[in-house]
Amino acid sequence: MSNAPVSIALRRVSAAFRSPEGATVAAVRDVDLAVRPGELLTLLGPSGCGKTTTLRMIAGFQEPSSGEILIGEHDVTRLPANRRDIGFVFQSYALFPHLSVFDNVAYGLRVRRKSAHETRTAVAAVLALVGLGDLERRSPSELSGGQQQRVALARAIVIRPRVLLFDEPLSNLDAKLRVEMRTEIQRLQRRLGITTVYVTHDQEEAMAISDRIAVMNDGRIAQLGSAEELYRRPASSFVAGFLGRANLLPATVRASSGGTVTLDVCGAAIKVASAISHSLGERLSVMIRPERILIGPPGGPLDGEIVSRVYLGEKAEYVVQVGGALLQVIRADPPEGETLAPGARVGITLPRDGVQLLP
Amino acid sequence: MQGDPLRAGVVVALWLLLGLFVLYPLACLLIRAFSDDGGFTLGPIVGALGNPTHLRALRNSLVLASLVGILGTAAGFLFAYAAERTDMSRNARRLIDFIILLPLISPPFTTSIGFVFSFGPRGLITHDLLGMQNAQVYGWASTTCAEALTYFPLAFLALRPLIAAIGGDLEEAGFSLGGSRWQVFRTITLPLTMPGLGNAFLLIFAASLADFATPLILAGNNLPVLPTDAYLQITGMFDLKGGAVLSLLLLVPAGLVFFAQRYLVERRSYVTITGKSGGRARGAGATAWLRWVLWAACAAVTLFILYLYALLAYASAVVAFGANATLTLDNYRVIFTEGVPAIKDTLIIALIGMPLGGLYGVIVGYLIARSRGFGRHMIEIVSMINYALPGTIVGIAYLIAFNDQPFALTGTATIIIACYIFRYSPTGIRTTVALLQQVDRSIEEASFSLGASSLRTFRSVTLPLILPAFFAGLGTVFIRAMTAISATIFLVSINWTLITVRILENMTEVALGPAAAFSVFVIVVVLGVTSLLNVALRRMTTLRVSSLGTAS
Ligand SMILES: Nc1ncnc2c1ncn2[C@@H]1O[C@H](COP(=O)(O)OP(=O)(O)O)[C@@H](O)[C@H]1O
Ligand SMILES: [Mg+2]
Repeated sequence: MSNAPVSIALRRVSAAFRSPEGATVAAVRDVDLAVRPGELLTLLGPSGCGKTTTLRMIAGFQEPSSGEILIGEHDVTRLPANRRDIGFVFQSYALFPHLSVFDNVAYGLRVRRKSAHETRTAVAAVLALVGLGDLERRSPSELSGGQQQRVALARAIVIRPRVLLFDEPLSNLDAKLRVEMRTEIQRLQRRLGITTVYVTHDQEEAMAISDRIAVMNDGRIAQLGSAEELYRRPASSFVAGFLGRANLLPATVRASSGGTVTLDVCGAAIKVASAISHSLGERLSVMIRPERILIGPPGGPLDGEIVSRVYLGEKAEYVVQVGGALLQVIRADPPEGETLAPGARVGITLPRDGVQLLP
Repeated sequence: MQGDPLRAGVVVALWLLLGLFVLYPLACLLIRAFSDDGGFTLGPIVGALGNPTHLRALRNSLVLASLVGILGTAAGFLFAYAAERTDMSRNARRLIDFIILLPLISPPFTTSIGFVFSFGPRGLITHDLLGMQNAQVYGWASTTCAEALTYFPLAFLALRPLIAAIGGDLEEAGFSLGGSRWQVFRTITLPLTMPGLGNAFLLIFAASLADFATPLILAGNNLPVLPTDAYLQITGMFDLKGGAVLSLLLLVPAGLVFFAQRYLVERRSYVTITGKSGGRARGAGATAWLRWVLWAACAAVTLFILYLYALLAYASAVVAFGANATLTLDNYRVIFTEGVPAIKDTLIIALIGMPLGGLYGVIVGYLIARSRGFGRHMIEIVSMINYALPGTIVGIAYLIAFNDQPFALTGTATIIIACYIFRYSPTGIRTTVALLQQVDRSIEEASFSLGASSLRTFRSVTLPLILPAFFAGLGTVFIRAMTAISATIFLVSINWTLITVRILENMTEVALGPAAAFSVFVIVVVLGVTSLLNVALRRMTTLRVSSLGTAS
């Protein structure tokens, strides 16, 4: 339990399950991942992509079928969970139903044979830290969902683990509490400086809380980077579509010279930067975020027709038909009196710096 | 955790025990029955099937079990339907619970003894009331009725949750679609209860097939059945091999019934699942006249059972039942002087077997619920064998297996205790599995993640959560150790004997008073101990949460 944060490394880690019919299902495939000391790294991906399995292997609840896992300098691949010095916060909280709040939080300290006095002080301090100072005599069943979540958090951090692991900790809370708790988790993590791996399927939560995000798909890591990198420079259509909303459009190469290509996107000619050169007529795929597309009066660079409009207060969302394609468009703070009913004709501008070439 | 050395050690130890006390005796029994000097042979079995006496015993056993099954299921359904579907008062419901409990905690021949007191040569009804001389209580009618009264609680317990689940929403949905009461009963209630009725019938069928005590007292000479036949073959003719062969004749129907019953239980599960959310509509479903008919029938059975037990208590407190009605404590004096060895032995065996059986039940239940794959199914099946087999088979198998080296345990308390543990712990095992299926695995993982070893996790997280199952196991093993006889009658010796065996001896020696006093004693002890267990469980589950910062 040294105080210097540690790194976590996964080296070509795979996990396989035997299905009831006897077939092997690969849940995690050859994952390489380096979590930096003290950072909060999120595994983000759709349900079933292998996030939980990856996290459980880091925790030691499950052995990888191949590959190795390092915490700090130590190879922990074969080390059982109870000797890895981790804190795990479960989706279901997994509070011990037969123990009081106090005894739940004290559990890990008692396992570590701390003195009664030390235990009292540490539990009181951590309960104050999560804002539950006066509830220590309650039974978990007498707490609200948010309070149970805080107890689970307190129980995991009171032992000052070297690694904190969260598996969708907020998915059982209502929307408002979710935002509050994620801020709290981030605050505590920063303050304690414990290396943390956080699992969620909620992209907003991931973006709000993480230092870096690893987007997972089908047992693999699709892309790793900061929220901004992933949003602005998605490496694949999967990442583009999973993080935020995206228009994925086909494009044809019109010209290619010295680091830029000119593309035909829905009939508009757009220049984008490209490291590699492309041949004329090559068909590519581009991504444009809805909020980057401009809607103007008819007669713009592209002609479009409104298919639907949803007014959401601070923004309005449109679906616009342009040529054969349907574009999602978002307009922040739409002007009063703007009534673009379905069927209305509009002009569409695709900003050249908002078009992202996908491999 | 998988691959845990402690867990591996427990599994190995468990298999050694299961091998010694389940598989080995069964193998010995089969070898003895199917071999002679020349090796493997079907001769003895063929011989037994060709013997008209044994064949008749087999047929009697099957017919008796069928009759008892039908009668017991009907009574169980009657009580369950009345309890769930009529607006009975709270006290009436309590009375029903008590009536159901009585046969479950009494020695298996308590009802039979009551029948003798009531309808025997000097019976209260036959002799005193009707003035009959030498009334014959022995035979089909009394055996069937006594067994049905002994075993109908099994049907009640199996049917009651089912009827509760089908009530409420499902039937109301039927009514809301315009069905009449009879239509709803015919198209919804009955089809949904059918598997449950089948299950209840099979439970009672198996119990009756294996019942040894009732026929021994009530069947008389004209109604030989297999378990008593096998017993007499061994104790009367000292023919161990013949007894083994006869007991094996029981195996085929018992096995068939066991698998049919499991099949039904698995198929039935859809009702219990949907029933969970269904609101209960007590009082719906029975018209006023039907309600009175149900109540009258329940009341008649209830009064009759109470009458039999009252008779038992009365017989234990008079000088000579049917001849001298002077009140006396002599019978109790007898059991607390001459009977002391049996009482002491029984209590020692029960009190040692109880904690061991309770612990065995939760450990095996834990392994079944918390592991995967082939080994888990093997443990599940093997640990059920001694429970599923008729007691006579288990008793004879133990007798054969542990008579000689290398495991000469005959005559010891160990053998009787082992018999009880491996035969009566499946209740604890099943309750543990059911409870653990409701405890999310992550609760144990939370403990591991906090640094606790698997032993510590089991002790301070799992065990407290399955405490009710542990107590259920304790209770069942204790009750059975106090009341069972069919297997252990083959295992008693000069050094270790049992109250139930003494009761049987008293009955055959027509020492009715001491037999009644022993029975009352057993019932009182069992009631006392099970109540204590209940109190202990309740205190342990409520105290824990409020204990702040104490025991870790
Ligand atoms: N215990 C298990 N047995 C069999 N398959 C499993 C088990 N746990 C997970 N899987 C499978 O592995 C894949 C990844 O699961 P998981 O890691 O739970 O995904 P996520 O947490 O991203 O939703 C899924 O296809 C799932 O069905
Ligand atoms: Mg998951």
